[in-house]
Amino acid sequence: MSTPVLEAHAIAKRFGGVIALRGVSFALAAGEVHALCGENGAGKSTLIKLLAGIHPHGSYDGRIEVDGNEVQFHSARDAESAGIAVIHQELALFPDLTIAENLLLGSLPTRYGLVDWNEALTRARTLLADVGLTLDPARRVGTLGIGQQQLVEIARALARRPRILVLDEPTAALSRHEIDTLLALVQRLRTQGVACIYISHKLDEVFAIADRITVLRDGAAQGTCIARDTGTTAIIALMVGRPIEDLYPRRQRKRGEPALAVHGLDAARDQRAAPWLRELAFTVHAGEVLGIGGLMGAGRSELLLHLMGLWGERRRGTVALGGQELPPGDVRAAMRAGLAIVTEDRKRLGLVLDAGVAFNLTLSSLRAIARHGFVDDAAEATAAGAMVADLRVKTATLETRVGALSGGNQQKVVIGKALLTKPRVLLLDEPTRGIDVGAKLEVYELINRLTDQGQAIVLVSSELPELMGMSDRIMMLHEGRIGGEFERSVATQQALLSAAMGIAPGRAA
Amino acid sequence: MQDTHTREWFMLGALVAIWAFFAWQEPVFLSARNLSLLSIELAVTATLALGMLLVLLPGHIDLSAGSGVGLTGAIAAVLITWHGVPAPVALLLATLAALVVWALMGALVVVERVPAFIITLGGLLVFRGLHWLVINNSTVPVVAGGSQNTYSMLTTSFLPPLAGYVLAAAVVAAMWLVSQRRRAARAKLGLPVADRERHVIGLIIAAQAIGLVVIIANDYRGLPLALVILATVALLVHMVTMHTPFGRYLYAIGGNEEAAVVSGVPVRNTVIGAFALMGGIVALTGFMQTAYSGATTTTIGSLMELDAVAACVIGGTSLRGGRGSVAGVLFGALIMASLLNGMTLMAVSPEIKYIARGGVLALAVWLDLRVARGRSS
Repeated sequence: MSTPVLEAHAIAKRFGGVIALRGVSFALAAGEVHALCGENGAGKSTLIKLLAGIHPHGSYDGRIEVDGNEVQFHSARDAESAGIAVIHQELALFPDLTIAENLLLGSLPTRYGLVDWNEALTRARTLLADVGLTLDPARRVGTLGIGQQQLVEIARALARRPRILVLDEPTAALSRHEIDTLLALVQRLRTQGVACIYISHKLDEVFAIADRITVLRDGAAQGTCIARDTGTTAIIALMVGRPIEDLYPRRQRKRGEPALAVHGLDAARDQRAAPWLRELAFTVHAGEVLGIGGLMGAGRSELLLHLMGLWGERRRGTVALGGQELPPGDVRAAMRAGLAIVTEDRKRLGLVLDAGVAFNLTLSSLRAIARHGFVDDAAEATAAGAMVADLRVKTATLETRVGALSGGNQQKVVIGKALLTKPRVLLLDEPTRGIDVGAKLEVYELINRLTDQGQAIVLVSSELPELMGMSDRIMMLHEGRIGGEFERSVATQQALLSAAMGIAPGRAA
Repeated sequence: MQDTHTREWFMLGALVAIWAFFAWQEPVFLSARNLSLLSIELAVTATLALGMLLVLLPGHIDLSAGSGVGLTGAIAAVLITWHGVPAPVALLLATLAALVVWALMGALVVVERVPAFIITLGGLLVFRGLHWLVINNSTVPVVAGGSQNTYSMLTTSFLPPLAGYVLAAAVVAAMWLVSQRRRAARAKLGLPVADRERHVIGLIIAAQAIGLVVIIANDYRGLPLALVILATVALLVHMVTMHTPFGRYLYAIGGNEEAAVVSGVPVRNTVIGAFALMGGIVALTGFMQTAYSGATTTTIGSLMELDAVAACVIGGTSLRGGRGSVAGVLFGALIMASLLNGMTLMAVSPEIKYIARGGVLALAVWLDLRVARGRSS
């Protein structure tokens, strides 16, 4: 192989007493797609931030070379001018500006000192076409879906003609179709000689796109493999440090009494909108996992949020918990009745990031641990401590800032908060999104334990294997309606996808 | 962590510098009489700032507080002097009015989603206008000349020396007991505890500070009642913010309102409750400030909202909500009160006073932003 375009030598980085990277070496060859895999907290993001100049030179040990020459990035700008473009997990777009403005910000074409909008729109359209989007560049970015925004972000990075492109979890929010577009784009860039570092939890994508795979664990490189000579299990074993027997360890229990019953439910975003959820009717029993799938925008998250009283306006229908009807739009009543939710977007809807672990864990159940109107510190520490031990949350103390935990541990705190309300029905919206394989397994084991104790679970997931692996029954949504219902035993990917696309309107269960 | 400690040391240094400067320029600054007056001024500023903390924690602000101080003080004075209402009844009526009005402002903020900045900016003007209407643009004393009532006594009465010592001893004993129990409980639960030496030294310093305050106060006329009122309010606000579900909700809403809603936090009632408490504290501050002047005039309370915000921010309260503590606010208020008192002693012209207050406010907010940036990167 020729000289690597980018090379990291024995990189070590610590944050106070925490070692994030312990001597990682890594080489990116020209025109290769190199995947970085590892659990959350393995050090991937730290490594990326070094390469992006966010952690400046001098804050770490080791050497970074571009084309064999040592470089010292003091800012993100330095990294950019060395030809490195990084797409971070968090989007950095201006929602109130147009696509064209976002794409060309800082380099808007001008004529006689005024912005030349015709030229700008033309250039923007070309850039959009590069990432497979045929949108009007004059649209406001805020009106786009998350997937399209992600592609706009990538288009913006490509506008600077980088030689090295770093993609950090680029497909987390994308639909199947958008993922395919993105993967094709990366393939095309490779033929144009752009080297790419690709970070993803989705191993199928990694294997579809990567030439080589480097696995990080606990801040150390575990090895670099040629993708086509390696299998998924080998990579997972490197990631978690032990072989994994069963990815989806669902143990089905006998169905108990009906716990959550939904009848003839129609709901709309607000008073003026047409119903988004329509004619929904289903029952979840104690000890059962009902999986809910569907394409992006099918109404999965909206349904869960509506059940909690957090989204939309009820037009028709009832939601009952244990035979007792819930008033619509009253989240506190829903919680008192025994409903709890783990939302998909844990940073926005799940956590108070600046507050501590115990603070977040007990936020929904403070009434239960208050005595004479005061929070009982001992009861709080006991409850939170038990939950931390039970869910194996890795945290220094109960008062550690939640924002300082890794993604998987943050997710456990969100789940723990819901569990402390002692729910009868737990609604899980993409509970394993963006968390690593080890933490995923723990979530699955937890689902088993909860249903063993007789709780009912509604599991929304966009990963079909997870849906099929962990649900007892699966309900596919299509444009706000039930597209099909399946028992676990008869569900196939084909059938589920057809139902999600509205091709098989009949009920197979 | 390191960052916040730097900030605390910096602020302590600033306080020492301010005191040293004034003591050098005007040695009378450190006289028992002036320190006694300073403690009353501190009580007024700090009480209002503690109310402001309750509103800032969930991410709102109250710009109407200063006008409210003038208005509530005026209502009580007018009721007593012009209508012959007994002082306790007048104070109660004015307090109830403030509770209702501030709860309404809170409701507008959280139910109708009008930004608190705008609602209370409106309040600033409306209350100022009402204040002048109520007093007919005249000067209304809080009590008929020469006599005393509950109202005037708020800032003119002092605890007898012995009572001051007994109170100080009781407070120190209570602090020792509570912290001892808290340490034991934390150790039992496996939570980190500060090491014993530091803890004892901290207690001794606190005891010495309290003792010093009482000794100096007794050197003049005794412990001012206003200071006792402040201590009571501080204790209450501390208990509410740190040890009740309501207090947790304040921090949660300020930290991440959407997550708070999803977590089942009663956001509406909490914010309305915070504003209502602010109303009560505005009324109390209004009484103290008006009593301190002896009468209500058109300028009472003017700009006090900004001193309160400055005190909060100097004390580490975030203007975006979710961060702040009673101890910090008390400290910030001490800096503000010292500045104002010292400048008055030095006979600094009002022009310069305005400039200094504005400079301190801007400086404090800039520091606050620096800290926030240090955290997020």
